[in-house]
Amino acid sequence: MAWELILWILSFVSVISLIAMTAYQLICLSDLEFDYINPYDSSSRINSVVIPEYIVQGLLCTSFLLTWHWFPFLITAPVTYYHVKLFMNKKHLIDVTEIFRQLNGEKKQRLIKLGFYLSLFVIVIYRLVITAVALLLEEDMNLLDSGTL
Amino acid sequence: MQPMGNDKPIPGRPTSPFSAAPPVSSPFLSSGPVVGSEKTAATPLLTPFSSGTQATGYRMPAPPPTRFNGPFTPTQPPSFHPTQDAATYQQTQAPRFPPPSQPATPLRGPPVANSVGSFQPQPQVPTFRMSPPHPPAVQSPPGSNIPPPHFLGPRPGPQSPFQTLSASQASPHFRASPYIAQQGVIPPPPIGPPLGVGSREQMPFPHIGQQHVGGGPMQGLVEEFQSLSVGSIPGSLDSGIDAKSLPRPLDGDEEPRILESYPLNCHLRFLRLTTHTVPSSQSLLARWHLPLGAVVTPLAEVPEGEEVPIVNFGTAGVVRCRRCRTYINPYVTFTDAGRKWRCNLCSLLNDVPAEYYCALDATGRRLDIDQRPELSKGSVEFVAPTEYMVRPPMPPSYFFLIDVSVAAVQSGLLEVVATTIKSCLDGLPGSPRTQIGFLTFDSTLHFHNLKSSLSQPQMMVVADLDDVFLPLPDDLLVNLSDSRHVVDAFLDSLPSMFQNSANVESASGPALKAAFMVMSQLGGKLLVFQSTLPSLGIGRLRLRGDDPRVYGTDKEHTLRIPEDPFYKQMAAEFTKHQIAVDIFAFSEKYSDIASLGSLAKYTGGQVYHYPAFQAATHHEKLRYELARDLRRETAWEAVMRIRCGKGVRFTTYHGHFMLRSTDLLALPAVDCDKSFAMQLSLEDTLMTTQTVYFQVALLYTSSSGERRIRVHTAAAPVVTDLSEMYRQADTGAIVSVLSRLAVENTLSHKLEDARQLMQLKLVKSLKEYRTLYAVQHRLGGRFIFPDSLKFLPLYILSLCKSAALRGGYADVLLDERCATGYSMMILPITRMLKLLYPGLYRIDEILTKGTDNLDESLKPLALTSQCLDARGLYIYDDGFSFVIWLGRMLSPDIVNSILGVDLSSFPDLSRDNNISRRMMRILKALREKNRSSYQLCRIIRQDEQPREGFLLLNNLIEDQTPGSSTFVDWILQIYRQSQSS
Repeated sequence: MAWELILWILSFVSVISLIAMTAYQLICLSDLEFDYINPYDSSSRINSVVIPEYIVQGLLCTSFLLTWHWFPFLITAPVTYYHVKLFMNKKHLIDVTEIFRQLNGEKKQRLIKLGFYLSLFVIVIYRLVITAVALLLEEDMNLLDSGTL
Repeated sequence: MQPMGNDKPIPGRPTSPFSAAPPVSSPFLSSGPVVGSEKTAATPLLTPFSSGTQATGYRMPAPPPTRFNGPFTPTQPPSFHPTQDAATYQQTQAPRFPPPSQPATPLRGPPVANSVGSFQPQPQVPTFRMSPPHPPAVQSPPGSNIPPPHFLGPRPGPQSPFQTLSASQASPHFRASPYIAQQGVIPPPPIGPPLGVGSREQMPFPHIGQQHVGGGPMQGLVEEFQSLSVGSIPGSLDSGIDAKSLPRPLDGDEEPRILESYPLNCHLRFLRLTTHTVPSSQSLLARWHLPLGAVVTPLAEVPEGEEVPIVNFGTAGVVRCRRCRTYINPYVTFTDAGRKWRCNLCSLLNDVPAEYYCALDATGRRLDIDQRPELSKGSVEFVAPTEYMVRPPMPPSYFFLIDVSVAAVQSGLLEVVATTIKSCLDGLPGSPRTQIGFLTFDSTLHFHNLKSSLSQPQMMVVADLDDVFLPLPDDLLVNLSDSRHVVDAFLDSLPSMFQNSANVESASGPALKAAFMVMSQLGGKLLVFQSTLPSLGIGRLRLRGDDPRVYGTDKEHTLRIPEDPFYKQMAAEFTKHQIAVDIFAFSEKYSDIASLGSLAKYTGGQVYHYPAFQAATHHEKLRYELARDLRRETAWEAVMRIRCGKGVRFTTYHGHFMLRSTDLLALPAVDCDKSFAMQLSLEDTLMTTQTVYFQVALLYTSSSGERRIRVHTAAAPVVTDLSEMYRQADTGAIVSVLSRLAVENTLSHKLEDARQLMQLKLVKSLKEYRTLYAVQHRLGGRFIFPDSLKFLPLYILSLCKSAALRGGYADVLLDERCATGYSMMILPITRMLKLLYPGLYRIDEILTKGTDNLDESLKPLALTSQCLDARGLYIYDDGFSFVIWLGRMLSPDIVNSILGVDLSSFPDLSRDNNISRRMMRILKALREKNRSSYQLCRIIRQDEQPREGFLLLNNLIEDQTPGSSTFVDWILQIYRQSQSS
């Protein structure tokens, strides 16, 4: 059971990092919108975290698949597909020349992703707690069984 | 757009025939006398409406007097009054436009209007001209610089109910075109000759049909719109449209007459709105299906004597609003005895700097207004103090990136470029600070050391394309006057230097990087001369676009966007470092203009395309255009922002620039040949102000090294009525914005989709217009359209047939399509309209007989092959090139005199005989009308296939070409679609 706990702890960490990266991108975009930073900085900052985000998300998705967690896998799969599609079309990076034209779309896309990550976060936390509690209970049971208590 | 004297506006006009006689009253003049007489205005207001034989059920429009409310009590700006203004206005306009805003007059100023007696024709003019002396603001609140209330102002168009009558009777200068006769639903009144006789001669079709003029039921109706009868006779094949009567923009661009009602606005050459109104609500905007926006040419060329005045505030600093940063302009109002001024955009009260203080006179206007151009002119230029600089003003700098691969040598390009640059060295702006540098490249990069202490330039070759480095830290970009002799020596030797080169490769990408390294410190202008497809190093491109199967699929648009992200990234870097890129492309084969052009697109540059360049034929064109590019006044390291009043916001921008923030355009270099379009959106659901102000500000470094701010201010009324928006519509600006939208659309969609989008917009707007009138008027069988937009259907048709949007794979070469697309994104309105509806002139008679007045003898013809007579000699001018068409039965005399035995397609036409000399005069006159590019002559003979079709017949946009309809069919199509619900 311990490996299950490790899996959920890892997913917990990666979901938090996904949320952080998406929020960072959103902040960059809205800073740009309100003219706090210039488009060059904004796009290079955003682009620097796009690939890490995709990698973390992809790893998370595959780990769910490999550990036969169908429900979380099916939830993350569409996002993975979306990422792969963007990457294949070479549209994953922000284009600094067109950034203002794409601003609203990009923001919306990231907001939706953020919402998605948040719900994933809830699921992961829930599973983490469940696993942890189950593990603790199991240990208790073992202790009871072994007559230590 | 072009007021034709027939038309529309005022609902509820009296329809007595007399009213058509023009009591010429200038909209704004008439408003003067009666300032402050709102109360009295109420009674007479009724008069015109009740007394006339009001034939229609026209609703009154939203009563204009509401405009008097609010903070902007309309008072007559003193500057409206100079007699000279009034006089010129009257003289020039009065005869031309029958009765402008006649009913408005009574509304506004009963005593005057009544005494004027709308029933007296012309002699009235003097009376009105005298009106200015009426005290401008008797009890005026301080704020005298408010534009005239909108209902008086923005009706420059003719307001006559009886177009035909007023056209023929009232206006000697009226340029009636035959269709006028037809569109009138009202039978032409018995008085007056049937439409200017002289004007007929100007038309290609002297035969004017009046057979369509409707009959009884419409009689006495106030005509607000133009209409065409499309009722076909049942059973006949005839479409029912008289092709000759369709409106054609033969006179080219005609600016709407806004300045008459808003004399403090900047000139229309700088800023034109698609409709000179702002809708008051979102729902009204939603019914306006055309773009709502502006076309700005901040540095448009001005005729001698109308230069933009330069203002130096000295120690006071540039006077701007504290909150919205608006620059001081003629529309601000001074209060508190001149110690405060109220911003016209955000209505904030600002303090007047002590140095700028001046007392006010009794009417609240500053005493020094005449000495201060910023308070009396719509366009001014401020000298910017050091706060407006992030670094010392840069010197003008030019860096030439020249492809010297074998194609460039063989075509003779190097020779032409070298001699042209050399001849321009003295004319480069900004001497003695001007910087210059050269880099040549084929499969390697050749740097040229132009250090002033050298006697001969040194060439350094860098062969490492993967990791480009500069062989010298400086001396690659040098001061021209110091190193002049080295530069001269370099240009002399350039053509011979690579004479024996057999290198076919072109390492453009690395060369661009190298140029970037050289220029990044200073910025400036980078001119790239590209003869082949970039084939080496980073940014190499491949042949694409030769697959016809991709057309019509979803991938079609990818051919028109840059293939390699390198070019966009490079463009972004260039803009960041204030470098503008101009692309000169010469290849006869595919050279991926789509990718190369993106360098120009994001840096405020321009794309010049000379397919299959040969020095012998194209040298004049290249020489002229390169010299113009180098010599024209250029604004360096510029940023442009357009501000507008509360409630509206500019959202999208179209042109060659890069957005640095949501509303700031970064323009490393900008000049008179660049214009920018932008679209407006409403922020609030309901506008509360009566007037919306726009202010374009361009902050730039002049070639002389001075930081300047060029400010153009304009005002437009807020309207609640859709028909008013149509009335004030500006076809030129609309077409300009629409074509940019269409070109942008082709970058993400199929060509077919882009064309359909344009058609859809046209149909929607005409349908909306139709619903305004169709109910009352039972207009079955008539195609109706606003007078201001009468050319729009034709322009949209020609837009769909332009090289950028026409057909599919085989119709236009991909490079040419992209190059045209890039040009259309920057063209100022007049040139855009010329490109869309080129001029076609018959000149054989002028050649044989000569003429005194060339301008009058050159009569533009309709663009249809029916106009081509086998005995004639025609010249076709689209602003970029001439095509000379020789009829089959043209007199051999003419042919021999102008051509001799020269059979080439770009012959030398100058010969020593009268006919040839006249020919050269005509060409010169036509070229002078458009000095932005050089029109090269091509000669084609009738029935010379396939060149005739390719060069001329396909461009006769009123004719049927494969996959597109004729003008008549188009009108019918639009008519049917606008009728169906």
